[in-house]
Amino acid sequence: MWPGDSVLGRNVGKLPTGPTPGMASEGGAVLSVDQVSKSYGTTRALSDVRFSVGPGEIVGLLGPNGAGKSTAMKLIVGLLRPDAGEIRLRGRNVVTDGVEAKRTVGYVPESPALYEFLTAAEYLDFISDLYGVDPATRGSRISEFLRGLELSGHEDSLISAYSQGMKQKVALIAALLHHPRLLVLDEPLNALDPRAARVVKDLLRDLASRDGVGVLFSTHVLEIAEAICDRVVILSHGRIVAQGTIAELRRQAGLAGSGLEAIFLALTGTGDLTDVVGALRR
Amino acid sequence: MNLHRVRRLAWVLVASQIRASGRGAHPKKATNQPAVYGWAALVLAGVAFAVAAVSVRGTGGSGSVLPSVVKAALPFLPLVGVGTVLVAGLMFELTTTAKFASSDAANWLPLRPQEYVLASAIAVAYTYSAPLALVLGAIAGVAVDVGLGGAAAVAAALSVLGLLQGALWVEMVRAVGQRAGGGSARRGRISVLLRALAFVVLVVVLELAFNPVVLLDSLSALQAFGHLTELLPPFWGSYAVLVLLQGNAVAAGLFAAGTIGFSLLLLYSANLLRQHFWSVAAPEYHFGPYRYGDPHPALRALGLSIPERALVAKDLHGFGRRREMMPMLLLPVVLLIVIFLEGSIGGGGIEGVGLMIYAGWAATFAGLLIATTSLGQERRSLWHLYAAPISAREIFRAKIVAALIPAGSVSAAVALFVGFLFRAGALDALGLGLAAAAASFAVSAWGLGFAARYSDYQERPRPQPMRPGAMLVAVVVGSAVALSILVPATLGLVDGGAVAAIGLVAAIAFTVAFGATGWLWARAGFVRLMREIPF
Repeated sequence: MWPGDSVLGRNVGKLPTGPTPGMASEGGAVLSVDQVSKSYGTTRALSDVRFSVGPGEIVGLLGPNGAGKSTAMKLIVGLLRPDAGEIRLRGRNVVTDGVEAKRTVGYVPESPALYEFLTAAEYLDFISDLYGVDPATRGSRISEFLRGLELSGHEDSLISAYSQGMKQKVALIAALLHHPRLLVLDEPLNALDPRAARVVKDLLRDLASRDGVGVLFSTHVLEIAEAICDRVVILSHGRIVAQGTIAELRRQAGLAGSGLEAIFLALTGTGDLTDVVGALRR
Repeated sequence: MNLHRVRRLAWVLVASQIRASGRGAHPKKATNQPAVYGWAALVLAGVAFAVAAVSVRGTGGSGSVLPSVVKAALPFLPLVGVGTVLVAGLMFELTTTAKFASSDAANWLPLRPQEYVLASAIAVAYTYSAPLALVLGAIAGVAVDVGLGGAAAVAAALSVLGLLQGALWVEMVRAVGQRAGGGSARRGRISVLLRALAFVVLVVVLELAFNPVVLLDSLSALQAFGHLTELLPPFWGSYAVLVLLQGNAVAAGLFAAGTIGFSLLLLYSANLLRQHFWSVAAPEYHFGPYRYGDPHPALRALGLSIPERALVAKDLHGFGRRREMMPMLLLPVVLLIVIFLEGSIGGGGIEGVGLMIYAGWAATFAGLLIATTSLGQERRSLWHLYAAPISAREIFRAKIVAALIPAGSVSAAVALFVGFLFRAGALDALGLGLAAAAASFAVSAWGLGFAARYSDYQERPRPQPMRPGAMLVAVVVGSAVALSILVPATLGLVDGGAVAAIGLVAAIAFTVAFGATGWLWARAGFVRLMREIPF
């Protein structure tokens, strides 16, 4: 039984969140990534990456295509094993204590491949079984999520008939069902309609501020990162080139008064786009 | 119609199957080129031609009965072309995943429907050309030696047209099958059941229609109707060769022209059907209201944890609902029905001990197919098994149970089948059922071992849950394991007395030995696989 399902802010409506028992006594980082490296054959995907996510903190993982964001997220949730370094989720090592560590994480991959031969209801019930969500209360919890993300009435249709946005919503619900302490979201707002995107952003803020859930998410929409992230980690060619609050990054890049886009382009070495734009216009 | 566009699209459609997405795909590799099918067909035809030609000369050459054998075989070739593509097309093309069907290039590129239909038919015909090439090469090797090279060339040309005709039939079924469910959503369970039934009927009918034994009987029967069969367009290709061999070149020309005309008519019909029925959206199946939080009590009796039960139930759902998984479950049933019908229609079926062993093998084949495909069928959804808080042991237990439940059901069905249809004794049927269940257990363990090592998780238009070479080895190993258990068990059942005791002991010993080694091998594979997602 999960106590205290709470009504959230204006856009979140009745989406269920609520504190998890034991959260109040939590002190350290919900995620710590320490000197992690990963290669695919001879290609170095990540090199000595080090960052953390604290309780209630929203951290944006940014970087150009192929920078290593998705690899980092796959390592964090246990899909891949680091070649070197260590990843801990609430103190538990993802490699040596994987099953227990994974109980605390909710994950949405970049292009979530769901079991499309199941209905959304069956899929969410299946996920609840895997994560040990209380059978007595899961029905109402799932129904609230479905209503909040406007999927009610579609839950008994096969996922194969869903639009990309509907599949993304189902993946988001699946990541939230078991009251995770850390959310790892790889471009979670992809394909969402404006209302759903707003609901998700508000929900992330609410989960972080009220329930102390740590959030690590990647996006290419820098305005979103600027709007909701407490801190930002910028990856380029598998290395962290900068991390900190927007103000700290601004100082680091020597771009006082600039937005995140200018900082990002300056730090990732993709700043001078004049030639590219000129070539495309020809 | 722009034939250049048709050719380019056909190339892309063949390449899309050969080159899956993912790290393993190297587009420049020779085996990743669409030309590989053509080269394979040419090599097969050349080797068959050479072997046949050398064999004929070695055995005395054209003075024997060979000319009459060639004269009898050549008219069949156009029908073999149609049959090859029809059977392969139904088994593999029509089980293409809805995802690929609804994202076909034709849905968004500026292509005319007839261009897509022709390109797709050419791609299908080309893909399955190798078996025909083998038969053509062998018959041509003899035909040239006995002075029937010209007729062989005509038969070869008409056979290629037969391949295209078969592919156009497949296109028609594909277009109708992908139609939207109209205004109302389809009723889930009924649709799934009807689809399975339609699949069995289609495969059985076509397997029988183009089965050499049945075909010979049917053609003999048809010849009794004299000129009536000459009015049936599907046979015109065969008649063209037949009358050419009788020396009537004009009639042969007319029949050949008729075959070309019939092929164009098929193209026109396939195009019309596609325009009329094709829907870009995947058909929507609607199921009844769902009851949450009922963690599969029927599976609790097996001692499985809740996550394990969830995984088993998920896989079992998949067998019925995924059209790419349907052949895995239904193939053994089809094998049994075909052997029964062949025996009834052609009179040449196998009997006694042979039949019992065949039936047992068909039953274990279900377990083998399900186990070998149990991981590959997860495809990109495999990430769930790595991200969820479940251990490799739980996944392994769930997968083996998910294979054994349908395999056990098929074993029971086989026992009933043998018992009732072939009037075996109740004890024999029960014994065979038990032997098949034991063999299924051992075979499934080996199948899972292969699955853990050689599964293919790439998204492809046509499902390929395991690498083809590995699948071939798995079928050979699985069949050997199954037969090592089934043969002594069946001999014991039939002979009784001392043989029964020896057979029983041998069957049990082999079950334990192969089951245990297979289990350990599979477990080791799972532990290694679950370290890191393989894509």
